[in-house]
Amino acid sequence: MKNRKIFSVAAWLLVIILMVTLSCKKDPVPNPEPGPKPATPYKFVVPPGFPTDLNIPEDNPLTVEGVKLGRYLFYDGRLSGRDDPDSLMSCATCHLQSQAFEIGKNHPKFPDGHPYGLTGIKTPHYPLPLFNLIWNNEGYLWNGMIYKGNTHLGYPAYGVPAEEPYNMTNIESLVWMGIIAPHEIHGSIDGTVNMIRSIDIYPPMFEAAFGTKEINYDRISKALAQFIRTIISYNSKFDRVLRGEDNYTQSERNGLVLFTTEAGADCFHCHGAPGNPLMTTNLFYNNAKDTVFNDPRDRYGVTKDSRDHGAYKATTLRNIELTGPYMHDGRFKTLDEVIDFYSEGLVYSDYVHPLMHKVFPPYGHGANLSPVQKADLKAFLLTLTDPVLLTDPKYSNPF
Amino acid sequence: MFSTSCKEDPPVEPESTTGKIHFDFDFMVDGNSLQYDTLMYTNEAGNEYMIYEVQYFISNVTIYKGSTAKVLKGWEKEHYVDSEIPTTLSWDVYDDIEQGSYDSISFTFGFIDADNQSFMFVNPPESNMVWPEENGGGYHYMKINGKWKVGSVLRGYAFHLGRGQVYDANHNPISFIDNSFRVSIPNSDFSVSKGKYTKMTLRMNVEEWFKNPQIYDHNVWGGDIMENQAAMEIAAKNGWNVFELVK
Repeated sequence: MKNRKIFSVAAWLLVIILMVTLSCKKDPVPNPEPGPKPATPYKFVVPPGFPTDLNIPEDNPLTVEGVKLGRYLFYDGRLSGRDDPDSLMSCATCHLQSQAFEIGKNHPKFPDGHPYGLTGIKTPHYPLPLFNLIWNNEGYLWNGMIYKGNTHLGYPAYGVPAEEPYNMTNIESLVWMGIIAPHEIHGSIDGTVNMIRSIDIYPPMFEAAFGTKEINYDRISKALAQFIRTIISYNSKFDRVLRGEDNYTQSERNGLVLFTTEAGADCFHCHGAPGNPLMTTNLFYNNAKDTVFNDPRDRYGVTKDSRDHGAYKATTLRNIELTGPYMHDGRFKTLDEVIDFYSEGLVYSDYVHPLMHKVFPPYGHGANLSPVQKADLKAFLLTLTDPVLLTDPKYSNPF
Repeated sequence: MFSTSCKEDPPVEPESTTGKIHFDFDFMVDGNSLQYDTLMYTNEAGNEYMIYEVQYFISNVTIYKGSTAKVLKGWEKEHYVDSEIPTTLSWDVYDDIEQGSYDSISFTFGFIDADNQSFMFVNPPESNMVWPEENGGGYHYMKINGKWKVGSVLRGYAFHLGRGQVYDANHNPISFIDNSFRVSIPNSDFSVSKGKYTKMTLRMNVEEWFKNPQIYDHNVWGGDIMENQAAMEIAAKNGWNVFELVK
């Protein structure tokens, strides 16, 4: 009897121990169904001294496959939604790698540097270069109308519904705008999507980038934006000097001093310095070009802030040698003309940004640079040209 | 037994006796909220002036209790304030602050030289405050951009403060001057309760930059002063009572 009791107690203890032990085990995980192979994360390496704050939307991380697809689309003229030779247009039509992804001089189609769309309408502003956009968190285009937090959606009058993904918040947004803009493709989103769907190479590329072969506008814009975000310029002589790999000539050195001193040309407040190697603040300034301001596409057109009349983005001066004509309206054809303007060509208005303090005496209408100083300043500006950007195969035409 | 058998014993932690500090930042002129881009102010020198924007750094914020001082530098020992960027106008200080009453607050306006290292900020907006190497390097302590009236027109001024320069006869800089200064805020006693935020507003009274102890005249100093130590010295001297704490 005693033994049976002991056995009974022991049996119960064993049961309890087993239950306690088993209760701690996790449920076995069923084998997942084989799904699409995930895209490979793209390793974006921030060059030393450059911002670590990258403008990459959470819903569009960089992937190797997405960037590759974006590169093809960037160069594929059928992005226009047409395939006849006269109707081809893509980002690369205007943004040439050899010209720092700008129109540049002697463009085969736009020799005056002012592009026009497929139906012949000129762009309201001259283009901006497409590099280092991953570090722009202040708004895209000359007036910054594309910015994070912008709640504007679509353009129903042009057949673009007022719904996501037709937003105006980032590089992705520039794709639908470029498709419908009268001064660019002047087409339709459906037309572009259907054309890309009809091209054999793309379904597998979309599958690699996004998991399925589905081709839609959202994926086209995301892939293009991914590629554009990878286009970066950080290998100019200016960069090599910063890295200790090169030295300035005396003239270049003098130019840097002029660039970064108020008594000199005072460029750096808006256009960066070694401590801000983007060579722009990406902010907006009225730089004393005009006395009358009636461009509805200036910064004021976006903010309705009185400080923004006649204000436009301070463009990066990287590769400035290649990115003329200069200013939003291309009024200056050469770098020398730009330097002359800042030296003696500023004009007064009540809306000039305070940083343009050289509008008045003791400087006259500008920095009053001597011919030697102008040459020095230009010599420094030429150190901002990045030959690697212009020839790097990973940015080149894949076709 | 089943439900509790897998749980680990919770670590025994002493009850927290600390709270937090939150600063807001605002700007006043002549006792009223700053109105930007409006020619409505007259400084002590008689200059009619307006303000476009104000940007500045404070660093090494220190709180005092009796004979003890605590520097708030748990996460960042500086804070950037930009009138154009709302997110910079409030600051949740990372440090845990022991509950109790405190006597006062002080901070460095800008950075002392040891803290003012070139290339320490890579991201805007702080990196946009770069102070060129030719002028001593590091960063602007402050930018006030605005305009003042000269006759019938407006002239821009860049009232910027940072490292000063000593030049030789050929106007080459031969040494640099730390223009940062310590601000001890009057009537800045406060208390911290455990588990709570103590909220305070650090207010810049802009007119004080041009007023006390020396009158600053835009007509004398002109539109740019980064390479004019005499002008920056006045700014640094006048900065002692620019700030007040609103509790």
